Amino acid sequence: MKVLVAVKRVVDYNVKVRAKADGSDVDLNNVKMAINPFCEIAVEEAVRLKEAGVASEVVVVSVGEKSCQEQIRTALALGADRGIQVETEGAVEPLVVAKLLKGVVEKEQPQLVILGKQSIDGDNNQTGQMLGALANMAQGTFASEVKVDGDAVSVTREVDGGLQTVKLKLPAIVTTDLRLNEPRYASLPNIMKAKKKQLDVFSPADLGVEVKSHLTQLRVEPPAERQAGIKVASVDELVDKLKNEAKVI
Amino acid sequence: MNDLATPRLSPATLSALADIVGAERVLTDAESAAHYGRDWTRFHTPTPSAVLLPGSIEEVQDIVRLAAREGLAIVPSGGRTGLSAGAVAANGELVIALDRLSSIADFNPVERTVRCGAGVITEQLQQFAEGQGLYYPVDFASAGSSQIGGNISTNAGGIKVIRHGMTRDWVAGLKLVTGTGELLDLNRGLVKNNAGYDLRQLVIGAEGTLGIVVEATMALARPPQDPAVLVLGVPDMGAIMQVLAAYQAKMDLQAFEFFSELALQKVVEHQGLQRPFETPAEYYALLEFEQLTGADMEQAMALFEHCVEQGWVVDGVASQSVAQAESLWRLREDISETISRWTPYKNDISTTVAKVPDFLSEVEQVVNGAYPDFEIVWFGHIGDGNVHLNVLKPDDLPVDEFKQRCGEVSQWVFEIVQRYGGSVSAEHGVGLLKKDYLPYSRSELEIDLMRQIKRAFDPAGIMNPGKIFDA
Ligand SMILES: Cc1cc2nc3c(=O)[nH]c(=O)nc-3n(C[C@H](O)[C@H](O)[C@H](O)COP(=O)(O)OP(=O)(O)OC[C@H]3O[C@@H](n4cnc5c(N)ncnc54)[C@H](O)[C@@H]3O)c2cc1C
Repeated sequence: MKVLVAVKRVVDYNVKVRAKADGSDVDLNNVKMAINPFCEIAVEEAVRLKEAGVASEVVVVSVGEKSCQEQIRTALALGADRGIQVETEGAVEPLVVAKLLKGVVEKEQPQLVILGKQSIDGDNNQTGQMLGALANMAQGTFASEVKVDGDAVSVTREVDGGLQTVKLKLPAIVTTDLRLNEPRYASLPNIMKAKKKQLDVFSPADLGVEVKSHLTQLRVEPPAERQAGIKVASVDELVDKLKNEAKVI
Repeated sequence: MNDLATPRLSPATLSALADIVGAERVLTDAESAAHYGRDWTRFHTPTPSAVLLPGSIEEVQDIVRLAAREGLAIVPSGGRTGLSAGAVAANGELVIALDRLSSIADFNPVERTVRCGAGVITEQLQQFAEGQGLYYPVDFASAGSSQIGGNISTNAGGIKVIRHGMTRDWVAGLKLVTGTGELLDLNRGLVKNNAGYDLRQLVIGAEGTLGIVVEATMALARPPQDPAVLVLGVPDMGAIMQVLAAYQAKMDLQAFEFFSELALQKVVEHQGLQRPFETPAEYYALLEFEQLTGADMEQAMALFEHCVEQGWVVDGVASQSVAQAESLWRLREDISETISRWTPYKNDISTTVAKVPDFLSEVEQVVNGAYPDFEIVWFGHIGDGNVHLNVLKPDDLPVDEFKQRCGEVSQWVFEIVQRYGGSVSAEHGVGLLKKDYLPYSRSELEIDLMRQIKRAFDPAGIMNPGKIFDA
């Protein structure tokens, strides 16, 4: 069984992002980039399926500028077999990514596509679902457990108020939630091997997709700064402030 | 109110102290005594006569003058994360806690310095620096609680010493209240100042025996660029030093730490952390380096390959994100806290870097022979020649008996330290815990000079008496 995993290059989760002074975008100048954490979980799940003898090949794909090859190499170091970069410029919105991924799905014919449930930059939570619709594949989103069984996969989903298990016929799409697994570290020998693994580059045109944008970003601004707290001397003062200053009681 | 059994201060003294700092800042209840009366060590029962929380330099001076008049001993207290029982008041001393001298002011971007009250938490200074696009490079696991005054008084080291040195290297100036209550303003931020003795350097690492550090001008550095972390599995101590030499020949390391397999097992089990890799190894080395260009990682990988070929390294991982770098650091940084539940007997010993393998194998022989039934956890700043030997107390052994047995073996360990010209306290200071062993590292003449220096700063002998050496 072939598994396709999508990964995105995003600002490192631990970096404090800043808005550009003119408010046009997030300032990415000299900022540390990394694999989107949910995509990392997707890679780990695919590699585990391979180690368990369920998957025969793991192909990792990223849509983005040349620099996203770094993240593809990281996924290859974690155990993916080969990589595909779909080269695009600038920000690409979820619908376009989904169309490009559909093109890759048609080329590769994977039985299972694993994606992160969302990326921590845009927080859209759309790509997996859109790909499901475009490619006409079953989808199990927010997965906390994935079990492949013959020509089906059961996916335990984290939904409001509990867990839901769905059984999907392959080929299918899974999007990962945080608790699915704990990704491993990339070992140095594997990082070195990853450099020699195959990495193909396609253009959107190769996949028959026209990159269009339907969204315009108007403004980016940092969240309001939290005001410093104050200490009150008594319960009475607290009640007074809540009533008369904060006006919450 | 006075809940303390021993010893009590006279009502007149208590009221004079209350006049200085305010009645609510003179604490004599049992809970405050236990809280402020001891550091991270647990070998002494805290019995301070009172805990004082001054809010200004003048208040500190007034307290010290009063104490000097009445012959009251003082224990300066910082974040109380010390590991040598320096900030321990086990003899009815007055504890002066510097928590309220916590202002950060007068940031100077040209000189890259900032003025800190003694009570500024180390991490606050780190965060302040970060906010200015700079970096305060002294760092260790207790930075969230330790104070700048405490760091200066212990000359704290930590995990970046190999690149950035000790606290000493970042103190551009400091203010000290001496044992007579006078205020010294030492070095005033000067880079060059060869006009006589540099008394500032004597105060750094004096563990509160020369006076109370009330303020310091701290220097800041440029932040490291895109630091990457490697954790390597290493078969033996000799190999660790080979790895260090190989990397240092080609790269400027930010850190070179090590820990043993048992240390790793403990943190993995108790902190829920992930092992770096499954390949078993006796020891692990953690390296950090800056990535100024992509070539740095290439270099690190080439060195890794070389080390594997030589048989010095069995496996390794590299951080791929800041989150991973932090998780890998936790494997090393969480050790102290993890093992604190076993009331560890700690030795913080050092020798020159090149002698470490021979030194360690001798120490290991003695320790393993002497403690066949105890668990021993090794870790430390091996790139600085500094190792932390931790003997864990079996749960069913009483503390006193445990301490006594460790004390006996310490002597043998320190004899080895002496033979190697090493130090019985590399970075934790001497306090009460190591003072019996000071002669293994310092000559009688040196210790006598230290006593004379103390008398010059503190003629009444009230500043943290009994710490480092007896008067
Ligand atoms: C988990 C853990 C990890 C640690 N790792 C390291 C490490 O890697 N490297 C390292 O060097 N240390 C380490 N330490 C030890 C400790 O954190 C340092 O020694 C630290 O500098 C102590 O600062 P503090 O403010 O807590 O001082 P305290 O413990 O309060 O005091 C230390 C000594 O300084 C004196 N003192 C405190 N404040 C003043 C003042 N304002 N004026 C005069 N004297 C004063 C005290 O009387 C005492 O003798 C570690 C401790 C812990 C608990």
